Amino acid sequence: MLTVGDGSSVVVDYLCDQALEQDMAVACFYYDFASREAQSPTNVLGSLLKQLLPGSGAIPPEIGQRFWGHRGVIGGRKLQLPDIVKMFATASSFRRTFICVDALDECIPKHLLEVLDTLCQILRRSPNTRMFMTGRPHILGAVERKLGGRTTSVLIKPKEDDMTTYLRARLGNDTTPEVMNSGLENDIMNSIHDEVSETYVEVGVRQPFISHVN
Amino acid sequence: MSRALTDNINSFNVSNNIFLPAADDESKILAWLSPLEPQVRHQDICERRVDGVGDWLLETKEFRSWYSGDGDGESDHAVLFCYGDPGVGKSYIRYNTVREERTRVIIADSR
Repeated sequence: MLTVGDGSSVVVDYLCDQALEQDMAVACFYYDFASREAQSPTNVLGSLLKQLLPGSGAIPPEIGQRFWGHRGVIGGRKLQLPDIVKMFATASSFRRTFICVDALDECIPKHLLEVLDTLCQILRRSPNTRMFMTGRPHILGAVERKLGGRTTSVLIKPKEDDMTTYLRARLGNDTTPEVMNSGLENDIMNSIHDEVSETYVEVGVRQPFISHVN
Repeated sequence: MSRALTDNINSFNVSNNIFLPAADDESKILAWLSPLEPQVRHQDICERRVDGVGDWLLETKEFRSWYSGDGDGESDHAVLFCYGDPGVGKSYIRYNTVREERTRVIIADSR
């Protein structure tokens, strides 16, 4: 079935396919509760920026300049969020840029607002940039508060076809097929279907907020 | 061009406004930007994905509009936020529970 995380991978795969045929850049980041301490706002946004740099060792001059500038301060100053915002504008100025951030709810709460604020600044200064994000419902308020005027929010719930496809694929890859038979397979399909079917909703779309980005 | 960059210009080749740093300098710049490598997690998620599941999302007018960037300026909805409960909860547990119960029955029958 489609989970919010699956939605992210569907979209990222689609964007990567498009990037093979068009001049566009795709960067993605996956928050992970187990690694949350290392996933500071600077590390996460720096990671997204890093993925936007062209290959073959080519680096935009402004970014090289900032790096060497920081090296000369107090023996090497750490990267700051305002630097990232400026460098994003440089890195995304050449082409359409897609930023994907999965599982925002797994970000440390005190970092979440800082990340959303910075993403908002990136949007303002990088008009070629579009952002795709996923997360659990409890962070919807924070996302809409920080990015409301620029955001379309879509509620994701399981669809029957997705569930059937997913279950058949999982059962088809069973590592102990000797204990599987058609009766067991039907039991699994039916019991899960009955349990989840109450929650089927095609897709609920919230109306975009009227207020503009702060 | 800053003095710091000028001092290190030997590390770069300049061509069409792009710096081509020496390999060692490039790795330093990338490490300075972030020590995180999300490609590993991306690969893991892609490997677990089932083909065809969720493709409908790409056909929704919300996704199409977001992708094409129909809006203008501040009215452009440049952010698409998909929210919902995690899908690895009760359904997955239920699958394992049913499977284990039936497995025990089959093994018992075969004795």
